[in-house]
Amino acid sequence: MRDLHDIQSILERVLKLTDAPHAQVTYSFKNLTASRFGNNAITQNKSGDEEEIQLSVAYGKHHGTSSVNQLSDDVIDRLVRRAEEIAKASPEDPEYMPPLKEQTYQEVPERFSDEVIHASPEKIARNIDIITSAAHAEGYEASGIHQSGYEMKVFMNSEGLIATDRHTWVSISTTIHGSNGSGSASTDTISFNEMDIESIARSALETARASQDPGEIEPGDYTVIFEPKAVADYLQFLRWNMEAREAEEGATVFANQLGETVVHPMISVTSEVADPHLWVPKFGVDGVAAENMTWIRNGVLERLHYDRYWADQKKVTPDSFTFPPICIEGTKKPLSELISECSRGLLVKHLWYIRYVDRRELLLTGMTRDGLFLIEDGKIVKPVMNLRFNESPIVFLKNIVDMSESMYVGGWAKVPGIMSNEFTFSSKTESL
Amino acid sequence: MKELTDLALNVTESAGATYADIRIVDQRENRIMVERRSLKLIDETESSGFCIRAIFNGAWGFASSSDFTRHGVEKTAKRAVDIAKASALVPKPDPVILADEKTHVETCVGICEEDPFEVPHSQKAEVLLSSCNTMLSVPGVVMAWGVLWFVRLHRIIATSNGSYVDTTNWFTNPILQAVAVVGNESQERNYTGGAKQAGYEFIRELDFPGRAKQIAEEAVMKAKADDTPTGIMDLVLDPHHLALTIHESVGHPTESDRILGWEANMAGRSFVSPKDIGFLQYGNTRVNFTVDNTLEGGLGSWFYDDDCVKMMSFPVIREGILVNLTMTRETAPIIGFDRSNGCCRSQGYQHFPINRQANLYMEPGNDDSVTPDDLISGVDKGIYIEGRGSFSIDQMRNNFQFGGDMFWMIEGGRKTKPLKKVTYQAQTRAFWNSCAGIAGRKYWKPFGIWNCGKGEPTQRMMMTHGASYCHFKNISVGGARI
Repeated sequence: MRDLHDIQSILERVLKLTDAPHAQVTYSFKNLTASRFGNNAITQNKSGDEEEIQLSVAYGKHHGTSSVNQLSDDVIDRLVRRAEEIAKASPEDPEYMPPLKEQTYQEVPERFSDEVIHASPEKIARNIDIITSAAHAEGYEASGIHQSGYEMKVFMNSEGLIATDRHTWVSISTTIHGSNGSGSASTDTISFNEMDIESIARSALETARASQDPGEIEPGDYTVIFEPKAVADYLQFLRWNMEAREAEEGATVFANQLGETVVHPMISVTSEVADPHLWVPKFGVDGVAAENMTWIRNGVLERLHYDRYWADQKKVTPDSFTFPPICIEGTKKPLSELISECSRGLLVKHLWYIRYVDRRELLLTGMTRDGLFLIEDGKIVKPVMNLRFNESPIVFLKNIVDMSESMYVGGWAKVPGIMSNEFTFSSKTESL
Repeated sequence: MKELTDLALNVTESAGATYADIRIVDQRENRIMVERRSLKLIDETESSGFCIRAIFNGAWGFASSSDFTRHGVEKTAKRAVDIAKASALVPKPDPVILADEKTHVETCVGICEEDPFEVPHSQKAEVLLSSCNTMLSVPGVVMAWGVLWFVRLHRIIATSNGSYVDTTNWFTNPILQAVAVVGNESQERNYTGGAKQAGYEFIRELDFPGRAKQIAEEAVMKAKADDTPTGIMDLVLDPHHLALTIHESVGHPTESDRILGWEANMAGRSFVSPKDIGFLQYGNTRVNFTVDNTLEGGLGSWFYDDDCVKMMSFPVIREGILVNLTMTRETAPIIGFDRSNGCCRSQGYQHFPINRQANLYMEPGNDDSVTPDDLISGVDKGIYIEGRGSFSIDQMRNNFQFGGDMFWMIEGGRKTKPLKKVTYQAQTRAFWNSCAGIAGRKYWKPFGIWNCGKGEPTQRMMMTHGASYCHFKNISVGGARI
């Protein structure tokens, strides 16, 4: 693993080698240790480092990019020559933006743990053993993945802008199967210290036990309570539909909606750069500084995403996030309180294979899995068979009834459990 | 490279590994992407590295690196064995046993008539810029988008049982898309031809600039079209559309690793069991599926898989009955086979190879005289679907819902009007058992899938499917809105 000084020297050399008036170069490093398990045994176990240098150069509005993963002098020479050749041969790009001169980067907490970098294969195997042993003891089968790693990015351009970012991460997810039902749980943290692997095993196993022998349920409109993981997976499609330019062209659900109430006033959607538990880089494309953003405030669409070109056209500030982290502040209620408030509905633990049906409406389809439960009179009464949904997250957020406390999901979201009315399920399946 | 592969295999053997292999991957890519009239990306990437797999005490270890020095290879080989030793702390009930495989020593080079890396960048960019410009000139089109993506994949695989293969393949993935907005409706239309194992000659065949206007006009037509009808009706599906239906509802359920539960945490499992081989009525007697990893132009035709098994062709479904599964050297013995059928691949040198569905296609109908128009003329009320659109299937591969790229109402045996927002929902076996007709061999077409995600961490993989036009009876349409 190279230190920052070495990396900066390499990037400075790359910038010196090119005769292009505009240049920006990025070094990326990723260490990943990943152990998969299935049927209560480790099935794959791997470790490796990757590094890459990407160089973009421009002559006027003619640009080209090249990248390599070997850093010897001859390869670096080839990297520079190739990027220059591509740029010189390329047609002019009317939307090309020159390198940025200055940016002020937010101070962010150190998202780094030495212990993660030096985690031994034995330590990881012992972590997995906690889950598989718990499942095996009760006659269940656990599958999943234990991943940990370190990522670093260093950016420099011909205007003297320098940006660096690094973080470690640990990510564990498991699905535990019984003969007639399953449960799953996951956690994503910066270090091993923040992780409670026993609670992951316990949570997945409790859901698996409760999910056995589900009863029939007919598709239709239901009040639903989504656990935070399901909320995050469902709302990630919001992140992919926030381009201001596409909205102005009328191609997305947010067309002509800026300043309008788009969801329930209980909902504000923000992105927090300095949250210590989110893997949010402090800079984005071209080194643009990440800023805290409010996308939806009290139900009103306040801001969409502007890349540098469109921001320049519209005379607004560009923002760094291609896919922003999503933060929704919930209440102080535990999820159990939402269940007690529900007279009849479905508790959704996990969603699967979510895809667009109609992008303009943001109508999505997908399946429930790993635990779907019928709630009656404020209590979970039984597990039920999985269902296919066809519903828009905008409708889901409009029909909101209540929220629980927020939780971190996937390193990119902090969202609550959400109770919402009239959620449309359209077909059923025999799959458990 | 032989010196390095020998070094890796010697180090793993000295460290106690009972089996090891090393795979060296050298990959070069060239991407050109245009949005509207802007050349958003034009790049070339080169990446090279190697990975070493080792079995110790019946458990796998895997380590990868891009450090090709002797020290780097030795360190990575030792790491692979150390990781295998740790895997044995949470052991499988039975140790890993690999199906026997002959020793192979061969150098193979795939088809590429015109090397895309030798074609001037300006020429490649101009194909997309002129196509997007044409599409944007059609009133109602707000967004035009195109990609050309070329890959040259060079692999060397050496195994501890003496195999040493050297393979080179070229892959080409072209996409063109128009997005039209009419009032509050927005619809897209795509033209791809599917990805293919080929060189730049494939781009010339597709003639993007010549097809751009039609694609754009059809996007506008689709945005103006009536919404989907709802109810039970017949479908006639074109080969490009069927590629995705085949991929999701036949390809994935017949992967042996999924059946064994090794993908249960993410991609899911399967309704199929090894005991079903020879018995399960997957479809009706019209339905025949074949894997052919030697298919010319097929994205899965890599000569050898990552287990160093020579790729082959074999039936998967015959007259509706499941007769085989795809497998690796590790899964084959577990499900009762002596030999792997060569379906183990990985995205790159950083990735552990896994069981991958291959070039899986549906055989054309028995009667070669049957045309797509014959199928449509046999439908009183139904929908004709072209191309791929929305897709989703449950984790056991039973319940699925598909959209498409272009839709036409069929009334009284003929196409009457365009439609939009069509989806259909079915259960896998019920769907394939409702096949009422298949057009002849002349209408059979392949279609490459570039981005199949599977595994954890997710790996991208490519394969080609194929079909002739098919008629399905009594399918639930429009269920996305009830």
